[in-house]
Amino acid sequence: MKIRNLPPPDFSRTSFLIVEDFEGMRAILRDILARAGARHIAQANNADSAISMLERTRYDVILCDLHLGHGKNGQDILEEARHRGLLAPHAVWLMVSAEKAAEMVTGTIESRPDDYLIKPITETLLFMRLSQQIAKKHVLAPIEIAMREHEYLKALRLTDSQMEGIQPNTPHAWDLKRLKAELAMASGEHGPARAIYEEALSLRDLPWARLGLAKIHYNEGRLDDARRELKEITDGNRAYLEAHDWLARTLDKLGDHEGAQSVLQRALTTSPRAPLRQLHLGEVAHRRGELGAAALAFQSSIELARNTPLKTTQAYLALSQIHLAQDNPDAALKTLSALSIDMYNNPAARLLAQAMQIPVRLKTGEHGIAKDLAQQLAEELKAKAQHLPPDAVFNLVVPLLALGDKATADALLASVIGNHHDHPEYLERAQAVYTQAGLEDEGRELLNRAARAATDIMNRGVKLSREGKLDEAIQLTREARAQMPSNARLLLNHAFLLIAWMERHGRETALNKEARGCIELARKLKPGEKRASELLTRLELLGSDFEFSV
Amino acid sequence: MPADKLDISTFLVSSIHDMKNSLGMMAAYLEDALAEPGSAPDPVDTQARRKTAQALYEVQRVNNHLVQLLALYKIDQAFYPFDPQGRPLADLAREALARAQPLADSKGIALDCECPEDLYGWIDYELVFGVVVQALHNALHYAKGRVLLSAAAQGSGMLIRVEDDGPGFPDFLLEQGNAAQRGISFETGCTGLGLYFADVVARLHKAGENTGCIRLENGGQLGGGCFSLELP
Repeated sequence: MKIRNLPPPDFSRTSFLIVEDFEGMRAILRDILARAGARHIAQANNADSAISMLERTRYDVILCDLHLGHGKNGQDILEEARHRGLLAPHAVWLMVSAEKAAEMVTGTIESRPDDYLIKPITETLLFMRLSQQIAKKHVLAPIEIAMREHEYLKALRLTDSQMEGIQPNTPHAWDLKRLKAELAMASGEHGPARAIYEEALSLRDLPWARLGLAKIHYNEGRLDDARRELKEITDGNRAYLEAHDWLARTLDKLGDHEGAQSVLQRALTTSPRAPLRQLHLGEVAHRRGELGAAALAFQSSIELARNTPLKTTQAYLALSQIHLAQDNPDAALKTLSALSIDMYNNPAARLLAQAMQIPVRLKTGEHGIAKDLAQQLAEELKAKAQHLPPDAVFNLVVPLLALGDKATADALLASVIGNHHDHPEYLERAQAVYTQAGLEDEGRELLNRAARAATDIMNRGVKLSREGKLDEAIQLTREARAQMPSNARLLLNHAFLLIAWMERHGRETALNKEARGCIELARKLKPGEKRASELLTRLELLGSDFEFSV
Repeated sequence: MPADKLDISTFLVSSIHDMKNSLGMMAAYLEDALAEPGSAPDPVDTQARRKTAQALYEVQRVNNHLVQLLALYKIDQAFYPFDPQGRPLADLAREALARAQPLADSKGIALDCECPEDLYGWIDYELVFGVVVQALHNALHYAKGRVLLSAAAQGSGMLIRVEDDGPGFPDFLLEQGNAAQRGISFETGCTGLGLYFADVVARLHKAGENTGCIRLENGGQLGGGCFSLELP
């Protein structure tokens, strides 16, 4: 059979954004697109201007170079754009690169562009790939919309109906199957995902399918199986970065911190510009007492994540803590002041940046300053205790007790326990703090009271709902949620009550949103929680605001 | 860090990127020049056009070599992101033909392709594309008037062939059981890079017990050299 020549595409109604640091290359891309009638072509020569253009306009197609010289690269722009919802559901993102790079394989649905183009870019290459991807995204747009609404079950249904019209074992069929597996994973339905991954592996040794299988093992607690699959991917090849990250996570959980550290270091030699991987390396090294390595990793994480949505308070706090342990209080203070600058619009981060000066000042013998700070911040700390990360709280309460501010320390620890009442590790750590301060019995009573208060609320909620007093139950859990915003069990109970209410009285947009928010947060706090996916299913069965026909 | 501690491979990789960027631009300019109005061979500028096409071919050749060196380096250092995906072979054929067409035109060689639209293979697209373009360039170099690229299903895998009507491969190449493993031949001035690359790429493709391979023959449909890439 002779091969057909494809007709040239018509891009006269398509809007383009070209992100490329090299003017010559921009001109070439522009010229090629113009030959297909393209009239709306915007251009950016660096990441910042690309982001600000994406903020203003929803482009149909983004052609983005992966390497943009210094600073953020194409992958960073894509992730930020997806994270902030700057892309239209039908938008096509083609990543342009000089070569096939490690960043291009595996990765998640959120991190993958629609396709990669390897230079040199020719007219045939560009027209063919663009036409294919535009057609594909047009078909997939409803699925994308459902995903953005976190309606994974609907997205799954849409994917299934797409698959009906497609010949099995064609590339498109496998694109859809892979998408379906990822959606099933996102909605906590491991069964169908597992079936797809196993089918793929029966055809070929495909890294993405093996990685998917490993994630299922990990989420279901079979850490040894997860480790075996992940090692199969990473052994002999350090290009599969995401598999390295999951292997490190698995080893970490298995208690092999040394192994986790070396896996992360290996992945970082392939791709050092990964703030979350640097953060993880810092945490692992810190736990192993390798302060120098940990400090370097936290520092890189901070620098790479600055001005991106990936920045975290953890990196700053841990780095400042390490500086202090290394007898470098000046550097510790500097890091804290960087935290308050870099995350100025995050009130909890600003509060921590100030509060964590207290241990530093104590160490330098500036008791007066430490005491003043503690006094100044006491009320705010008590009021915002539930929003502070437990690690920071544990580092803060010891100096507070040393300064004699028992009331604030009590409030902080009680809040950690309320938020994590079914988390024995935190209970032990909190008890250890009191024991060390010579307040063993008093501490035990206080902590037990905090844990009991949380359990009582749960029980009262259940009782009220059994008695059919749903409104009262919702009122109770809603108030409790404000005090314990990170208590996964409470969040799910609250979502359960909201859903039960809507099942009885009909759907309400605000309640729907509240319930979904609770479930999403609970899943983030406790991945692999079965109840979360059950509730998500019930919530989706209530319908959505934006029904569209298939 | 003192200069003598820097790993030369860092420079190699980043310089190759840089060189590839320049070559990509050169290729685009030359393609533009060839696509100027009146693009059907015009007797007045035939000479200029031929030379432009020749220059384009040389640029692509250097580019191919850089791509192959970089891929081989990464495979050797265990960080090539090998990623087989289900792709239509017809797409690969179209892209490869587009790459080779200007040279074929300038040499007056008919470049044909036979490939079913519904043939799919689990391939690492970039690697297989590199092999096919290299084979096409080789064939165009030796062909008298015709080159044929074909792809067909073979068992559960596929067979990709590039054939020409030239004098065929010399005996010393055919005689070697696995020509690619000979490595560099200084006698013939042929670096062996292309064949070695093709062999490595073929062998990376596996399905169960089956592994890809390459073959060199003479004869085939056009009577000249015939390069085969079999993938499981």
